[in-house]
Amino acid sequence: MNTDFSPIYKKMLLTILVMGLLLILAAGLGLGIGPTGSMWDKLWDVVIHKTAAHPMDKAIIWQIRLPRVVLAAVAGGTLALAGLVFQALLRNPLAEPYILGISGGSAVGAILGMFAGLAVFPGISLTAFLGSMITLGLVLVLARGKSPLSKHSLILGGVMMNAFFGAMIMFLISLSPDAQLRHILFWLMGDLSMISTEHLPVLLAVLPCMTGIFLLARPMNLLLLGRDTASSMGVNVNLVILILLILTSLMVSVVVSQSGLIGFVGLAVPHIFRLILGPDHRLLIPSCLLGGGAYLILCDLAARTLPREGEMPVGVVTALIGAPLFIFLLWRSRA
Amino acid sequence: MYFCRLSLILGLLMIMTLSSAPAQTREMTDLAGRQVHLPKEPRRVVSLAPSITELVYALGREEILKGTTQFSNHPLKARDLPRIGSYARPDIELILGLKPDLVLAIRDGNPRHAIERLEALNIPVFALDSKNIEEIILSIEALGEILDARDQASMLIKDMQKRIELVQQRVAETDFRPHVFFQADANPVIGVGESTFINEIINLSGGKNAIAGARGYPRMGWEDILLINPEVVIIASMAGGRNKEQLLQSWSRWPQLRAVQNDRIHVVDADIFERPTHRLVEGLEMLMGIIHPELASDHHEY
Repeated sequence: MNTDFSPIYKKMLLTILVMGLLLILAAGLGLGIGPTGSMWDKLWDVVIHKTAAHPMDKAIIWQIRLPRVVLAAVAGGTLALAGLVFQALLRNPLAEPYILGISGGSAVGAILGMFAGLAVFPGISLTAFLGSMITLGLVLVLARGKSPLSKHSLILGGVMMNAFFGAMIMFLISLSPDAQLRHILFWLMGDLSMISTEHLPVLLAVLPCMTGIFLLARPMNLLLLGRDTASSMGVNVNLVILILLILTSLMVSVVVSQSGLIGFVGLAVPHIFRLILGPDHRLLIPSCLLGGGAYLILCDLAARTLPREGEMPVGVVTALIGAPLFIFLLWRSRA
Repeated sequence: MYFCRLSLILGLLMIMTLSSAPAQTREMTDLAGRQVHLPKEPRRVVSLAPSITELVYALGREEILKGTTQFSNHPLKARDLPRIGSYARPDIELILGLKPDLVLAIRDGNPRHAIERLEALNIPVFALDSKNIEEIILSIEALGEILDARDQASMLIKDMQKRIELVQQRVAETDFRPHVFFQADANPVIGVGESTFINEIINLSGGKNAIAGARGYPRMGWEDILLINPEVVIIASMAGGRNKEQLLQSWSRWPQLRAVQNDRIHVVDADIFERPTHRLVEGLEMLMGIIHPELASDHHEY
């Protein structure tokens, strides 16, 4: 059977294995460490022996840390993958859902959904999706120009869109009489603490999107060579782009409506893996998915444990890592 | 036959009492109007607000208090309690780590989702609600009931009522009701409007809230303040993280104001005025001394 494997499949398998291991390792750290201290011995009790542990320790691991680790893994994988797709489709190394304003658009949609009193699923996820699609439409209009400036005008447009959505979110919050909505302020920089076990199934909506994107890995490779080349190789360029954009926005809006605005994950993760693995999307997609998950779990771990009291939004950590990387990439693209 | 049936009933009764024995819960309605199943004798209590922590100490039940929020600084001993995050952002994992059998919360103060999550994790949450002195008294009564400190609670309440009555008697000696502006925060300036306990104690201590039309805690511009032109200004200490001199200085820029001209700007301890506890009565007495210095006599300590 092994002889059937072409080198690329062997490479894919190896990548998935290594990245999967990394993700499991990160998840183990995320489950073991928290504000109540590291509980390796208790983790062992809870996971392996099951009965020996105190019910509160069980609840801490299964109902507080686990949903959070799962959300971090899903959000990290989704955002990294979305960054990868946008970078390929827009042929711009700086493209990423947060920088393009797409996360912001879905956040505004999600908040409007919350105001309207909709259910988390499908209501808020749908309004978030609507917000992200509208933003995406605007971004694509900005990206259409053929001048060499368009590459940066895309990013500039995204920055302005972000500023606008940030202001819009603050505006909506200040209109709200409900003090309960103040937690949205935290949500502006990413908040993974709100997730509870009942909300986890909502995240399953990203799975079909990811599968779809993975199936389109080869056409994405061809798209990197340019639209004309791709269509001469038998790719229905417009259809592929449309499907990819819709799938990506859909999964980003599902994640944003649960985790808030976490920036730069879609920038840092794909670039790190591109450096290691090269430009082949058949390798990059699984490694962004799994590695992105591991990356955000570790960032969240830092956000939970570094502050002396309380915690900081996870977006602080990802921006501290991602923004300098963005500046470096910008500088390199000019050189 | 008869004996058989009797022993059957007795057996059933025994099983019932045995099975209910370890639970030992009771049902109570909390001050948010919710039915809560509480342990009859709570042993591990976590407080989600500095005010609740103060009340638990005042009821002498601090030995069952296992955790509290940031800024719980009164009494001094409360500073040594484990912290579970802030009032507005309690950390569920830290709460759970203390293995509480009862959590005491504030309605509309602690985030609703945090309360819902605690309840989903089978931790009973009893919510207090204290928007005026009457509700503070109800809260103290409820805490006395829950924490098995009824006598302490009724003593505390009696003392409060007696002191409030005394203030009311003295204030009744005059019809003068100066306009008082209470500044809850600086940068931006936050005032205190109606439907707050500060508004209530301004009225009780013989003042008239200068922004009586507003509700809650409105944000004020200096333009609004110049327009209101209050006669007495009370500033909560530490407002905006500033010291007393800085707070006073921000007012002395406006010599047009009556309160500035007459040197009637006072900085008070925010913790006494902004927490719904028995100590609010201390605040009431202090406020009467500030608003009506002419009524204050020597045998009263302010």
